[in-house]
Amino acid sequence: MRYIYFITLAFTFLSCETTIHPELEQAEKIVVVDAWLNQKMERQTISVTRSQPYFDNSTPKKINNAEVVVHDLASGEVFTFEEGDDAYYWEPTSTPFGVIGHQYRLTVSVDGETFEAFSRLGRVPSIDSIEFTFNKKDFLVNQDYFAAEFKALEPAGVGDTYWIKAWKNGHYLNKPGELNMTYDASFTPGQSVDGQQFIIPIRKDFINPLDENPEEKDQMLPPYVPGDSVYVEIHSIDPMAYEFLFGVYFQITRPGGFAELFSMPLANATTNILNVNKDSKTIAAGFFNVSAISGRGQRLTPELAEAAKQKAD
Amino acid sequence: MKRLIPVAFCYLAAITCFGQNQFTVSGYVKDAGNGEVLIGTSIFVTEASTGTTSNVYGFYSITLPKGTYHLAIDYVGYNDQVKEVDLNRDVRLDLELFSSEEMLQAIEVTGKAVDENVQSIEMSTATLDVRALEKLPAFAGEVDLIKSIQLLPGVSTVGEGASGFNVRGGSVGQNLVLLDEAPVYQSSHLFGFFSVFNPDAVKDVKLYKGGIPAQYGGRISSLLDIRMKEGNNKEYDVKGGLGTIFSRLSVEGPIKKNKSSFILAARRSYADVIARAVTDAIPDDAKLFFYDITAKTNFNINERNRIFVSGYFGRDVFKFDKFQGFNWGNRTATFRWNHLYGSKLFSNLTLFRSNYDYGFQIGENELDKYDWKSDIRTYNFKPEFTWFPNTSHEISFGGEAIVYDFRPANAVSVSEGVTTDISLDHRKAVEASLFISDNHRLTDKLTLQYGFRFSNFRYLGGSVFQYGDTIPGIKKPLRNISEKGDWEQIAGFQNPEPRFSFRYQLSKTSSIKGSYNRMVQYIHLISNTTATTPIDIWQPSSNNIEPQLADQVALGYFRNLKNNQYETSAEVYYKTSKNQVDYIDGADLFINQFLESQLLSGIGRAYGLELYAKKNSGRLTGWISYTLGKSELKVDGINYGKDHLKREGNWYAARFDQRHNFKVASFYDLKKNVTLSANFSYISGTPTTFPTDRIVVQGYVIPYISGSARNNYRIPDYHRLDVAVTFDNIWRGRKGRRGEDNLVVSIYNVYARQNPFSIYFSQGADRQPDDAPAKTSAKQLSMIGTLVPAITYNFKF
Repeated sequence: MRYIYFITLAFTFLSCETTIHPELEQAEKIVVVDAWLNQKMERQTISVTRSQPYFDNSTPKKINNAEVVVHDLASGEVFTFEEGDDAYYWEPTSTPFGVIGHQYRLTVSVDGETFEAFSRLGRVPSIDSIEFTFNKKDFLVNQDYFAAEFKALEPAGVGDTYWIKAWKNGHYLNKPGELNMTYDASFTPGQSVDGQQFIIPIRKDFINPLDENPEEKDQMLPPYVPGDSVYVEIHSIDPMAYEFLFGVYFQITRPGGFAELFSMPLANATTNILNVNKDSKTIAAGFFNVSAISGRGQRLTPELAEAAKQKAD
Repeated sequence: MKRLIPVAFCYLAAITCFGQNQFTVSGYVKDAGNGEVLIGTSIFVTEASTGTTSNVYGFYSITLPKGTYHLAIDYVGYNDQVKEVDLNRDVRLDLELFSSEEMLQAIEVTGKAVDENVQSIEMSTATLDVRALEKLPAFAGEVDLIKSIQLLPGVSTVGEGASGFNVRGGSVGQNLVLLDEAPVYQSSHLFGFFSVFNPDAVKDVKLYKGGIPAQYGGRISSLLDIRMKEGNNKEYDVKGGLGTIFSRLSVEGPIKKNKSSFILAARRSYADVIARAVTDAIPDDAKLFFYDITAKTNFNINERNRIFVSGYFGRDVFKFDKFQGFNWGNRTATFRWNHLYGSKLFSNLTLFRSNYDYGFQIGENELDKYDWKSDIRTYNFKPEFTWFPNTSHEISFGGEAIVYDFRPANAVSVSEGVTTDISLDHRKAVEASLFISDNHRLTDKLTLQYGFRFSNFRYLGGSVFQYGDTIPGIKKPLRNISEKGDWEQIAGFQNPEPRFSFRYQLSKTSSIKGSYNRMVQYIHLISNTTATTPIDIWQPSSNNIEPQLADQVALGYFRNLKNNQYETSAEVYYKTSKNQVDYIDGADLFINQFLESQLLSGIGRAYGLELYAKKNSGRLTGWISYTLGKSELKVDGINYGKDHLKREGNWYAARFDQRHNFKVASFYDLKKNVTLSANFSYISGTPTTFPTDRIVVQGYVIPYISGSARNNYRIPDYHRLDVAVTFDNIWRGRKGRRGEDNLVVSIYNVYARQNPFSIYFSQGADRQPDDAPAKTSAKQLSMIGTLVPAITYNFKF
């Protein structure tokens, strides 16, 4: 993925950007359901809000008095989400949410309309290790640096989909360009790469943040220096959620500059939140997904740094 | 069909029956200085008030009753000639024209007969004289054919840096670009900033926007016919130039004087060479360059036979290190054989192979890499005949057979040393066509051209994917995969493609012309981005993709003024199309065996008015072009308003739709050896999509468009002025030094306007704070937001 930066840089000297404030058509303010549940022993959250005018940068407000229920379609178990201050919550007591392989149905009733969505809880591989490699300075980072890489064996069998998230020093790598979703061990279902280590852009490039050096234009800060820590999670996601994220990636990753030549037309992301009344004109957006999670963290200690340096030599 | 054959025979008999006392004068028209044949020379028989023009190989043939005639030969930039011929037998008369001295100094805007604008039946065409282009101000000082044709009416682009061009509201993939008959699939270097054609090796450029003759087919929008020089067959010429981006060198000369010649032309960019000299941050394995080599040779075997062999080889290479980078390039090879059967039947047989391929690699080492190669190979056999039975008819007929070999992905993914082959099936298809067309001079005033093309396309063997129906705009569900043998037909299509044109001469200096054509396109450029990319694939029509089909009518008025010093034209066109390819949202177009499940199909309409005025001679020359146009699409699953259930699409403006497109190109001879030139462009803003709402999912802000609108806003208008000064003969051509040279100093975007390329909405590419909602904004991007000066030195000796 690094090459994209390179191309962008090669031409930025001619291009320029200005922030503008165009007047937009009136917002539709549709219901948005943001329901990504997982098996962590922590409070599970479902947000039920409305979409806001595009330039409204405030936190979306909860829609009150919604009924939010998740059914385990295999076991019959019912998870009722209770209305809290800013979202709807369910708290695990002794066991986490869900069972791998089960299918779940979310039902949200709001303002006289009922929406539902389905998601399957998929399996997730464990992360075996996180390693650091030492790199000489290059055209992007003009000082020697360390890069992280996780090892996890993707299980055999075509059709597993994951969302891989990473944190550096406790901060989630949340740039749109860092959205890292995979189909089996690679990017796309068109031709699957299955049952092996995730391919190198997935297991490495996306977990190494590239942030511009505030002191030197067009130069990046080193992704990791001794003392930094990295934490990686693999979330199993429903194949529909993979397609959703794949579409979203191209909608929200707009690095600008030269890359605008190759941007795709703006269009609405898909959703699995559908009105149960097929004839209703009221629609919703957002997504429902259930995940199993594996995670692992690693700090780049001086010892590890030294070992990586020696390995590079 | 059967009933047509006797009709055709009667027709042919009617044309030829009065043949006894008729004789033919025929031959080639050439430049006396270098032996290059001249395309489109007017040969007028004074006594018979009739005439013809030389064809693309410089050949002409006129059949007349026995007698003595005077042939007036006329071609812009050359001295007029009158030849007397005594026709009491068939006469072979090769004509050599001399460049007119004073004309050489001035700029010729076109190469053709002076009154072709009015006289020729062709309409909706545009020609460019490559010699004139050299003095046009160009981006980075690089003369560029594709950018220059955008100065003509009806031709546009989505914006600076975008590859290709749009003709009368058609997409980039709907243009057939031919270099010596071979299709060039990707016409750009450096994504789109420069085109792949070396102007030093190009002789003639002609763009057909409508009224496309029956011998051409395969794309629904336009045909850009580029003809390479044959090479000077009298003496050696060396030509070259030093520019800011490229350096160029070409050599041409006789192999055997007057019999055979060659030309070899090459260009290479040198940004990498300069970069390496100023910085050491570039890894040793890194590469960034592009080059092209054009070569052609021809042999006059005898009076009846001539063969041409030509080739093009171009490549862009971007390598960031040993394992990361990409490259793309075209390769074409053309063999042509001109043969004369008697003096009335001219034939040309073309065989060519054209390849477009690209490679894409990412990774770190042999154990962790991703390597993708894709190519499309085309093999073509095209016999064509032109028969000149008498001065009233010129009949062209022939056929074309194309074999396509699509190799969309030869790819491997290697992870921790485990290799997975992720290649896609090779695909073959055969496109075969037959055509016949008559250029029929009905009266002195009325000329008709009626033609017919019959095309047939077969999509052959491999996996057959069958998809079920769903709501438009959603990926179609896979129903079944079956296998067919390698050359077994999976899907077949055939289409009649009628073509018709007329010209009615209103006066000696004015005419009206009209045309209708149906065009069919069997292979589709799969591209969902604003500009096409070098890694877009071509997909054949199949059981899931119907061929694209367009009908176009055009009507025009043509008038020359002041003894052909001024040419003017006004044309209107209306075009409808169907089976235009579009894409579902979030379509995954790369290495996807299920690609067809993500394609949508729609209809299109485009209409417009094109005005053109040109001044051919004098100190001030140039042209003004204005297009009022509209281009719209209607695709189920896109722009469907609030109809979420059926999702029937509403009409929306195409991304390259421009209401007004105004261009001026002008040259002024300031004094001897100094020419000023300027271009001005004013283009209405292209459409884009603005969101209405924002949706937050897992912390990411996703834009939402009420009513799923597409292209519901316009970016601001575009305007730009470029200027250049050309100093001729600054060293060569002086003090007895051989040859000529010039120095072109140009400034692109003189008043440094930040012309918008796009407006985009996003939460920004930057890291957002953990605890607050992401901020959204709109940004307006200028691809080239400043003025760009350049100096180019050209020489010839």
